[in-house]
Amino acid sequence: MYITDLKAISPQESYTEEVLSGQFKVHTDMVYRAIEPNYIGFIPKGLLRRMGKAVRMGVGSGLPLINDHQDIEGILVATANGGMEDCIKFLNQIVDYDEGILTPTNFVQSTPNAIAGQIALLGQNRGYNITYTNGGLAFENALQDAMLLFEEGSCNKLLVGGVEEISDYSYNIDFLLGKYKTEPIDKEWCLDSNTAGAFCGEGASFFVLASGPKGSLCRIKDLDQITYPKESDIEQLVSNLLSRNGLTPAEIDSVVLGYNGDVRHNNWYDHVGNSVFGDANVFCFKHLVGEYRVCSSAALWLLTHLFQGNRHLYTKMIKENRHDKPLKNTLIYNHFDADQHSFILVQRN
Amino acid sequence: MHKVFVTGMGVISSLGVGKEANLDRLCSGKGGIGRASVFESKYTGSLFFGEVNLSDDVLKELTDNQGSTDLSRTALLAFFAAEEAIKQACLSNEDLSSYRTGIISSSTVGGMCNTVSLYNDANRKDKPSTFIGSYADAEHTLQLIKRYGIKGYSSTINTACSSSANAIMLGARLIRSGRLDRVIVGGSDALAKYTVNGFNAMMILSDEPCTPFDANRKGLTLGEGAGYMVLESEKVVGKKNLLAEVVGYGNASDAYHPSTTSPDSIGPTLAMQKALELGGIKADEIDYINTHGTGTVNNDETELIGISNIFGQPPIFNSTKSYTGHTLSAAGVIESIYCIFSLLFNEVYPSLRIKQPMEGFAANDAYLSGIEIEHAMSNSFGFGGNCTSIIFKKV
Repeated sequence: MYITDLKAISPQESYTEEVLSGQFKVHTDMVYRAIEPNYIGFIPKGLLRRMGKAVRMGVGSGLPLINDHQDIEGILVATANGGMEDCIKFLNQIVDYDEGILTPTNFVQSTPNAIAGQIALLGQNRGYNITYTNGGLAFENALQDAMLLFEEGSCNKLLVGGVEEISDYSYNIDFLLGKYKTEPIDKEWCLDSNTAGAFCGEGASFFVLASGPKGSLCRIKDLDQITYPKESDIEQLVSNLLSRNGLTPAEIDSVVLGYNGDVRHNNWYDHVGNSVFGDANVFCFKHLVGEYRVCSSAALWLLTHLFQGNRHLYTKMIKENRHDKPLKNTLIYNHFDADQHSFILVQRN
Repeated sequence: MHKVFVTGMGVISSLGVGKEANLDRLCSGKGGIGRASVFESKYTGSLFFGEVNLSDDVLKELTDNQGSTDLSRTALLAFFAAEEAIKQACLSNEDLSSYRTGIISSSTVGGMCNTVSLYNDANRKDKPSTFIGSYADAEHTLQLIKRYGIKGYSSTINTACSSSANAIMLGARLIRSGRLDRVIVGGSDALAKYTVNGFNAMMILSDEPCTPFDANRKGLTLGEGAGYMVLESEKVVGKKNLLAEVVGYGNASDAYHPSTTSPDSIGPTLAMQKALELGGIKADEIDYINTHGTGTVNNDETELIGISNIFGQPPIFNSTKSYTGHTLSAAGVIESIYCIFSLLFNEVYPSLRIKQPMEGFAANDAYLSGIEIEHAMSNSFGFGGNCTSIIFKKV
């Protein structure tokens, strides 16, 4: 399947696309907050007021694409936590008011499928609609489903996106679980930190996918995933993925790896980037967008622009520059907490 | 394209622990809705629930999780139902850890049923609770993956009330695509203050046990439970006992309102239409419909409009939510299991507590046996207008 259009809200100026001309934001906080656009004008004010951030960002990225591509036939959204902020606000009401009369808005808006539901409603789209919440593999689930839909011949155009918001609440919980840094790192390339924990990010990245290459920016050829793997499982997975696509490891010119500054989990990326694909260029992305469960959607947004030859992104993202061949066969390899691992094979169209 | 068969099923609900207990209560018309005895909430005195009236500790014993301190109730229910399904399907360790075996689960509440801990952890009121890692929607799926050593495709879906129906649909599609040989599909939801208060704030909970398809129905009754099916490709079933075939499925978006269905029932109609088309099945070949049938004024009315749009005169239909209450994400799979009971035993269970049928429609309100059921349809319509319909065929 092919990417023909895309839109992202992220901790960079991705929505305005100023990041593409080299306007990078260096985050030195422990939390990378998204730079949100002014939604007024395309989300009705009354609705906007009631939307939590996840829904806002999802609608803000997805709805314009639906408006620009009236032939979209389905909406697939990935979000691990949905509108957690609204959810906990509602929960706080339950506890603070001892289950008294509560406002329903927070409840309805907090359910993870509110994002896909709202985009469908505002875009008047009655096609296939699904929300994946499978943590670090949710976005890959959405891509896989889209691929199935195209193979089944039931669609030619789809909207797929990943959304995650930083809510104080989900941050608190993940922080208590030791997922995040306890101190900021005051340099731009924070990914070779030698302490545990990552930097929490947020964003919404949406893509228009098409069944054919006309007008496309790059091609998503295949993907695969595994949970709780051993290192040998990763090697087997990669081997299967490449061979069923008629590729050898040497033909992968670039890998986009999910290094996130958490020293405990680097070994997976080291192995893939140095042993399995020792001749490929290595790119990173989490120093730009932070870590969150569906952040491979942000990696895909960035990679799509790398395919268009964007030199600013190239320079900012490159970790190992081993050759200067253009991007042709690339792999995004990402894991969340070293538990859920995925590979996405992206090719020049 | 490979045929998809159901080779294992597992269920736990207010009707009881396991398939036999559930089937027994369906046949005898003994619903599971009553006052909650385990669930703690201000509303247990005033509202009714379809509760699995076993404490978390008993569920831990039942699922070989004695002494665990971090499994949510949702996960415990899931463990039971998944084990029953996997055992019936006779899946070996080799089957379970094959790259061609997947798992797709679903939940609305996930681990957020542990309300008090979540409140404390989310607001950092105290030291982290033992449930600190259990809240995510996907957490129970990960627990199942860990227990069974599953390496293949995994997913967790949350489209509210249609979630596990979507899980069944996706599982069938993955098998048909040739990517998987077998997949464990289903969902789980435990009663939670979060959902009870949410639905109550929307004023769609009935203050009496729900009466789907009754002219004077007042709303839904919440339930809890878990259900799983093992779906397998015809390539690998060998001589296994086949419970049913998945022949049709469809999903569509109503795109009308976050929590009510359009007056013309566009989403439900589209979903049912797609399911029939995919299966190459004519409307008059559907012998029985297990409806979404929540008992709200809006759902039952619009669902019947949708059914009329497709079928004209509807086939025999009922709502088994009159037994179990609305089990949210687990509803799709639990009700599909009940559909398969109807297919296997040529019987239809009564929709309970109908005093005055809705004008022009009569849900089946008696136990019917000796009914030849070849094709059965199960409907699930969720928040956000997410509508899914699945068709099962007798094998």
